[in-house]
Amino acid sequence: MRLPRKYLVNRLVTLFLTVWIAATLIWIIPRLSPVDPADIMLGRMAAGAGAVENADAILEQLKENFGLNDPLVVQYVKYLKNIVLFDFGLSTATFPTKVSSLIARALPWTLGLMLLSLVITFFIGNLLGALMVWSHSPRLVRVAIPAAMVFTSIPPILSGLLLMWVFAAKLRWFPLTGAYGLTVEPGWNWAFVQSVLHHGFLPALSIVIVTFGFWALGMRGLMITVQGEDYVKLAEAKGLRPRYILYKYMIRNAILPQITAFALKIGLLIAGQVLVERIFAYNGMGKLLYDAILDQDFPVIQGVSFVIILMTAVSVFLVDLVYPFIDPRIRHEGATS
Amino acid sequence: MTDSGGKPVLTLKDLSIEFPTPQGIVKAVKSLSLTVHLGRRVGFIGESGSGKTTTALGIMQMLAEPGRISGGRIDLGGTDVLGLSDEQMRLTRLSRIAYIPQGAMNSLNPVMRVENQLWDGVVAHEGKIDPDELKRRSGEALASVGLGAHVGRLYPHELSGGMKQRVCIALGMILGPELIIADEPTSALDVVTQRQVMLTLKDVQTRIGSGLILIGHDMGLMTQSVDELAVLKDGVLVEHGTVRQIIESPQHPYTQDLISSVPLVGGDSFLNPSTRAAAPERDSREPLLRFENVSKVYGEVTALHPVSFTLQGDTPQIISIVGQSGSGKSTMGSIMLGFNPPSTGRVLFEGHDLLRINAAETLKFRKNIQAVFQDPYACFNPFYRVRHALRYPFKRFGLARDEAHIQAKMEEACGAVGLDPDLVLPRYPHQLSGGQRQRLIVARALMLSPKLLIADEPVSMVDASLRATILSNIYDLKDKYGISILYITHDLATAYHVSDYVMVLFKGHVVEAGPPKQVIGDPQHPYTQLLINSIPWPDLHRSWGRDEAGWDPTAEEARAAEAPPKLRGNVPGFDLVVQ
Repeated sequence: MRLPRKYLVNRLVTLFLTVWIAATLIWIIPRLSPVDPADIMLGRMAAGAGAVENADAILEQLKENFGLNDPLVVQYVKYLKNIVLFDFGLSTATFPTKVSSLIARALPWTLGLMLLSLVITFFIGNLLGALMVWSHSPRLVRVAIPAAMVFTSIPPILSGLLLMWVFAAKLRWFPLTGAYGLTVEPGWNWAFVQSVLHHGFLPALSIVIVTFGFWALGMRGLMITVQGEDYVKLAEAKGLRPRYILYKYMIRNAILPQITAFALKIGLLIAGQVLVERIFAYNGMGKLLYDAILDQDFPVIQGVSFVIILMTAVSVFLVDLVYPFIDPRIRHEGATS
Repeated sequence: MTDSGGKPVLTLKDLSIEFPTPQGIVKAVKSLSLTVHLGRRVGFIGESGSGKTTTALGIMQMLAEPGRISGGRIDLGGTDVLGLSDEQMRLTRLSRIAYIPQGAMNSLNPVMRVENQLWDGVVAHEGKIDPDELKRRSGEALASVGLGAHVGRLYPHELSGGMKQRVCIALGMILGPELIIADEPTSALDVVTQRQVMLTLKDVQTRIGSGLILIGHDMGLMTQSVDELAVLKDGVLVEHGTVRQIIESPQHPYTQDLISSVPLVGGDSFLNPSTRAAAPERDSREPLLRFENVSKVYGEVTALHPVSFTLQGDTPQIISIVGQSGSGKSTMGSIMLGFNPPSTGRVLFEGHDLLRINAAETLKFRKNIQAVFQDPYACFNPFYRVRHALRYPFKRFGLARDEAHIQAKMEEACGAVGLDPDLVLPRYPHQLSGGQRQRLIVARALMLSPKLLIADEPVSMVDASLRATILSNIYDLKDKYGISILYITHDLATAYHVSDYVMVLFKGHVVEAGPPKQVIGDPQHPYTQLLINSIPWPDLHRSWGRDEAGWDPTAEEARAAEAPPKLRGNVPGFDLVVQ
């Protein structure tokens, strides 16, 4: 089976436009702020050294280096060119580190932790949501799941702290903070991977506990609708096994809108769990963004925001590509419209 | 009953089904006893709520929670169904009792190919089977309902309603069951497709020699399809006998009502015109509504070919637009309502092009052209009381003088459709029946004193006994208030009685038009003849084609597409031009 070309072109144009408009907004918004980044850098130098000589000359030099004296149009075009090359300039807070290398260092950690916990949450949440509705679920399951929903109302920092206190501080099963142990050498060796998994467990668990309810509740609503559909009634009348009906007739149809929600969540999850990364001192994108905001480090904020948007747009695009394969009705639409 | 066919396949003995609710126990089926024999077709007829579907689901052991069987026995060819375990019951379904559900549109899994949905049923009963063998059996099943093997590779959305229902029949017979239960298998289909599907079902049932229970509310369809009739009312079997006994000498008054409520072409009218009111005063000399070469194209499909007509509006008339689903009749209605811009041509309301009118003109147009749609359940905002639904448009169009005026108007409108205003106005829509809601839609339209009412299938979702009432409410709008009406329907019998002029649409073309006594009473165009012949008459002497197994309307439709349109007589105030 092949996708209609028109459908592909359509989605690609949407992807490109989304990213372009968002990149432009990211560029405009900081320029509306009265704060001058060169001033901040100078202020930081002054704070470090006690006093700065030739302050005006240095300020002028910084502005020149950052290209802040160019006309806006030139700045914009340069910006677009750089962004295509993933060059977000230099961080002002940790001058002269490249923003792109800061992001490159943080991104794998967040992707690893967040994507993994999102995938786990997606599966657990949807399965539990489906079991809440399925008439053949054990009674215990149908009572226990709504009770577990209580966790959804706990803010992630609280659940994180609670988990840290129980499993790291009291039971000492897991390390308190950090992304990997100080004694292991980063690289593709078993000791390191083990350490990463060990360190990632608690933050991931705290995210799973507080977010599975989102998927479970959504799935529950979708399952109730699907349960009333005639094809589910006919499936039962066909004498199919209840578990087969659950997977192939009910979940298979109810999951479709959840997959779209999954794509949207991928972009948000980078920014969404800032506090979890913060309390576990996990050096991911959330922490990078958090620190950048505190330091008014505009290039980093810009770079992180762009990565978030790019990830969201790309994952939505990917879901659009996958969707026709999981829902034949979309293929039909794409072919005729 | 004399000829009872083969040996008994299903015996119900004092079957009772109840639904415990917080308000107390609702008894849905009360002590029902009945026997179905192999090779016989038994119709369960009754209105919604009569317990016919509940009985079927009870036999299948598929009652929705909290329903339960509170007493009696179900015997399926010697097996005590109520004594079976869950797993035994699962194995009984499809292999011994097949169920064909009501919603033809939605009864197949949208993300699975048709053949997979035939295979999983077989595999669930017989275990793993060689794929080639499965393919052969699904192809055979599809062939027995007149569908090609390629249909198996398609997804449900690629099939028409009639094809989907035939797939369900193929599924029902694939394991050769002793009993088939078909729950209103044709309720969403037009007459021609209905005839084809019913003939297929009868043919399949005869071939496998099973018993058949056909559930429905249409006396005509029953007469054409079954051998015996069981009449249910409020969960009680009020009458049971052969079709001949029931049609020719119905004993129970309820059965007599059911038979007499079927409108017949040429029979006595259920309407009693009293007055003939003049049309409301108009401040324009232009015709009320005018189509100038209007057509509508969706992608590569032409839903409506160019048509022109003029409705003067000075002589109130009821114009019926009839045809099968997909004939373009609803497209025509939505173009008239301005919801759907025409692809070519212009729609003029009192001389103004609908696409070019300003806000004030639009408001006037909306007030003067009101609509009644098919689904009375979807037409109300569930959050507002009926009072709000009625008064809001009245105020919005600036017709209200004061509160007392609104109240008086609401009461008058409710009275006109035979509803007690004190009873219905304070209620929420979900507290009313479908029939009551549809009458309120008519009342709401009436309050605005429109000049034209567009009624798109206003009674197709309402119980048969209520149809006549609602149609006479609509008829009264013309008769007592002088409002012109465009009645869009697939039901030729009601169109025959209600209308002054009939247009028959076929694939977007007007094929025959004129006064109903000529067009429906004596059809000249082959397509109109096909439609009339497909009506299931509640008359044993007027057969639908009992022995026409594998009847296929394609040839007749092809002939109809060749024939030139037939324009019959005219009525004052309406002029139709067909290219």
